[in-house]
Amino acid sequence: MKTVEQEIGAILAGNISAITQRSIFNRLGGLAKTPINQLSPGDRLTIMTELENSVRLFARSNSPALIAACSRVLNSGGAMSASGGGLAGAAANAAASASPGGGILSAPKKLPIELEKDIATARLEAWSEAVRIGLSKFASVKVATAVSELARNIIFYAVKGTVELRAVKDDRGSVGLQIIATDQGPGISPQKLDEIWGGTYKSQRGMGKGLVAVKKLVDDFHLDTRPGVGTTVTCVFRGER
Amino acid sequence: MEQELPIIQIRNCLLVSIQTEFHDRLALDLQASLMERVRNVNARGVILDVSAVEIIDSYITRILNDIGKSVRFMGADCFIVGIRPAVAMTLIEMGVELDSVSTALNLDLALEKLELL
Repeated sequence: MKTVEQEIGAILAGNISAITQRSIFNRLGGLAKTPINQLSPGDRLTIMTELENSVRLFARSNSPALIAACSRVLNSGGAMSASGGGLAGAAANAAASASPGGGILSAPKKLPIELEKDIATARLEAWSEAVRIGLSKFASVKVATAVSELARNIIFYAVKGTVELRAVKDDRGSVGLQIIATDQGPGISPQKLDEIWGGTYKSQRGMGKGLVAVKKLVDDFHLDTRPGVGTTVTCVFRGER
Repeated sequence: MEQELPIIQIRNCLLVSIQTEFHDRLALDLQASLMERVRNVNARGVILDVSAVEIIDSYITRILNDIGKSVRFMGADCFIVGIRPAVAMTLIEMGVELDSVSTALNLDLALEKLELL
């Protein structure tokens, strides 16, 4: 069985300089020399986190596809590149990962939003989730920004709530990211809603434009709010159209 | 968790590099200490470097606008430098304006615009 270094190195070859690869594997320490089929789920997470951080910064081309290809190899126990290996194999893996049903849809992530620092955490989680499912760099920044707005609304107005991230497939088979922000806060009164959508609402702390901004950023937007009960915002980002 | 952003003086210009998560307290402290420093050193301009900031949402935009407004009230100019392309695209799409500050591609160009070089 090949080691992490051999398998991942084959995928990164040509896309990331040898020096950068060296430093990635150095940071992984003993994990780099571990055969792929002996990795624990925690090991895979450590490796993927390192790869996501480095590949995003240093890849010469399409980093989400590269990351997805690495993820596939790690999760498949190394069987993937047995057929191809090297650059051709990596390209094939990347293409396979970008297609729906490629095993990159995962269980939803539910993030508690209770403290101001949770906003930053939610933002980063959303970003890496967006990159992981293969959204473009710009789209991933949009996802993170929308999550930031929604999480901030929860902290400002409802004190606490949750943000849920879920990879979804639409009927045409393209992958997207669904964001569900829920709180049991005061809700938004119909009068205030009119002001918000009309652009005349001014909040004390923000610009009063958070919801409008999110609505403009996403592809699907649904707001369910009941005064005294709470608010749920559900929205979906699709991949490139 | 008290923190304060360092304000660096370059000639008669003040520079703040924003790298941490902005929250209300930090933003208000920065605004207050910037205004104080602008007056003390007769600063001609204030430059906020956001090149390390990966996400700017409407709340952070408002903070930047507020700082810009207060600095302009004192008669200095406020520059935001280093906005990342993806951040700029996102702000445009959201319909959020950075209208109370000037912008420059990087620190050099901001200093140039402030006629300091």
